[in-house]
Amino acid sequence: MQREFPRHLNSLAGLYEFTEEIMKAHDLPDGVRFPVHLAMEELFVNMVHYNPTVTTHIEVGIDVADQVTVSLVDNGGVEFDVTTKRDVDIDAPLEERTPGGLGIHLIQNLVDSLEYQYKDGRGEVIFTKGSGKEDV
Amino acid sequence: MFEIKYGDDGAVLCRGRLDAAQCEKAQGFMDELEGENTLDFGDLEYISSAGLGILLKTQKRLAGSSAGLKIINVNNHIFDVFRYSGFHAIFDIKAKE
Repeated sequence: MQREFPRHLNSLAGLYEFTEEIMKAHDLPDGVRFPVHLAMEELFVNMVHYNPTVTTHIEVGIDVADQVTVSLVDNGGVEFDVTTKRDVDIDAPLEERTPGGLGIHLIQNLVDSLEYQYKDGRGEVIFTKGSGKEDV
Repeated sequence: MFEIKYGDDGAVLCRGRLDAAQCEKAQGFMDELEGENTLDFGDLEYISSAGLGILLKTQKRLAGSSAGLKIINVNNHIFDVFRYSGFHAIFDIKAKE
């Protein structure tokens, strides 16, 4: 299933409903749905924030089989490789912590695979998460 | 949908999904907090890094007056997000029983 969403934070509600409807139709458990929603939001919001002057919609695809495969395509955005390890010190004391920078760190910890491709202004992120049904 | 309000016991009740689109609403409420406060996440289903940023910003502000946030009734998914973010070390967090 694929759908395009306007490049705006107001799209998050529709993005959630689109994804939730598909995952519930496949009877996926909370333990799968939560990280998929989180990774999808973080990636979508990055595409919005890093390309404020781009007007193209963001293409979102989701496929559920033995695993959930999600793709987000950003046409006309800048290159932003989400697979690069971020320097996030989660052990830093409160006084040294600053808001921001945790989104990619969370994605890298919550999904099973994460790929990024960029060519001619087209950026595509694909991540997978086990459906929890692999052994059934 | 995200709601934030005071409960009858004085705790701050959070309900729904705290995503990036709801941050302005959450930040506006949190900016008014003073002293020690308890956030009841019993009805909060979801939080993303945008919500974490609000919690961190508020905790840092309150720490300046030797106060802070206690977060209770956290579901296991949000608890995992806190753990991956190192928030368990800088907040008083209680999981949902």
